[in-house]
Amino acid sequence: MTPPPASDVDLFADDVLVDPYPVHAELRELGPVVHLRRNDVYALTRYDVVRDALADWESFSSASIAFNPMANEALTGTSLASDPPVHTQLRATLTENLSPRALRGLKGQIEAKADALVAELVEKGSFEAIDALARAFPLEVVADLIGFQGHVRDNMLRWGQAAMQVLGPMNQRTAENFPIAGELYGWCSEVKAEDLAEGSVGRGIFDAEARGAIPPDTAGHIIHQYLGAGVDTTIAAIGNIVALFAEHPDQLALVRANPSLVPAAFNEVLRFWPPINTWGRLATKDVDIEGTVVPAGAQVAVLLGAGNRDPRHYENPDAFLVERNPVDHLAFGYGPHGCAGQGLARLEAHAVIEALSRRVERLVAGPEVRVPNNTTRSIEELPVLEVISA
Amino acid sequence: MKIVLDRPRCEGHGLCEEAAPQLMHLDDEGELVLDREEVEGADIALANAAARVCPVAALRVA
Repeated sequence: MTPPPASDVDLFADDVLVDPYPVHAELRELGPVVHLRRNDVYALTRYDVVRDALADWESFSSASIAFNPMANEALTGTSLASDPPVHTQLRATLTENLSPRALRGLKGQIEAKADALVAELVEKGSFEAIDALARAFPLEVVADLIGFQGHVRDNMLRWGQAAMQVLGPMNQRTAENFPIAGELYGWCSEVKAEDLAEGSVGRGIFDAEARGAIPPDTAGHIIHQYLGAGVDTTIAAIGNIVALFAEHPDQLALVRANPSLVPAAFNEVLRFWPPINTWGRLATKDVDIEGTVVPAGAQVAVLLGAGNRDPRHYENPDAFLVERNPVDHLAFGYGPHGCAGQGLARLEAHAVIEALSRRVERLVAGPEVRVPNNTTRSIEELPVLEVISA
Repeated sequence: MKIVLDRPRCEGHGLCEEAAPQLMHLDDEGELVLDREEVEGADIALANAAARVCPVAALRVA
């Protein structure tokens, strides 16, 4: 086995975070695995190796999902950062209240909320889509689901953003966000059942802890993961839905003509612009990837976004086409660590796409504003200048 | 060929049912039921498609 090709690309440079796709294409062409000297990571670049690595927890451990040791240390003992067999129980506890079967009862409420919000915005005729929709909707859904009240509701956005920022390498963004992520951590380690609304899923997690259904002192950790992982990413996905439909009116027209395309459209939004492009793993041993070696102990960067645009797997990958229905996209990861909240994300996103495509014929949007973020690629501002309603 | 379900890993996302409704479905509780475990002929491709789309790799065809 030979060492993989090397590159001086910096995955966490401002311009790469804002637009990673040219760099992804360059790295994919160099090889399925590329050593990035400046980040000291081994990047997995092509669809097949990305998916295989996500399934292979024995070779690629989740002990290092973040790109700095402080964040990895803080995540120790969570489902996110553990491997089987420990992971299996933690994951079951985490998903007990989050799996599609647990969420079935919420579908109607979530659809009603999305429709009311979209109807109000269409009525206005112009709006700023990130604050008014992409943030407002998931924040309300998650707050109501977990039962957040008072000051916690006001902090959800900044806490959720910080929890993702601190997964990057130890750059300025990470350093600035550690204190904010610490506020979230502190609150979650002290939260009590009575702090959460009666009848909420959050309260239910405490009830489960009280009756011994989940291990002692795990309720706060679970709530931490719901908030840390489930807010910023869903906000990014919903902002992307609005931006991509505004940019591609022909694709919106296809969904309008055939509402059964709603799930396919969401799959394509996630394939085309995944909220998370880069995720960490740790090589537990020398791993042979198509004749090159990832050395034992190496920090691995799994390039979900590069896999999603791999022409070896998707025809014409740089085109946004709702009818391609890429059900096997990599935006939720895959395998034992596949996004635990994807059922909720689908409920929310499908509700938004369904409401938009029913109520809107065309959106005219101004230029989107993006701010570099270590982990979540999302739109910061998206002015919708005009709504041509259906 | 046989469809093998890792039941503890299954979270009921239901993408397999969309891929192969002839072979499996989610029951009223949201639990996956394999209507057929032994598959042959054209059904093998369907079973493979269902295993392929499981987001948590809870299904395989052996």
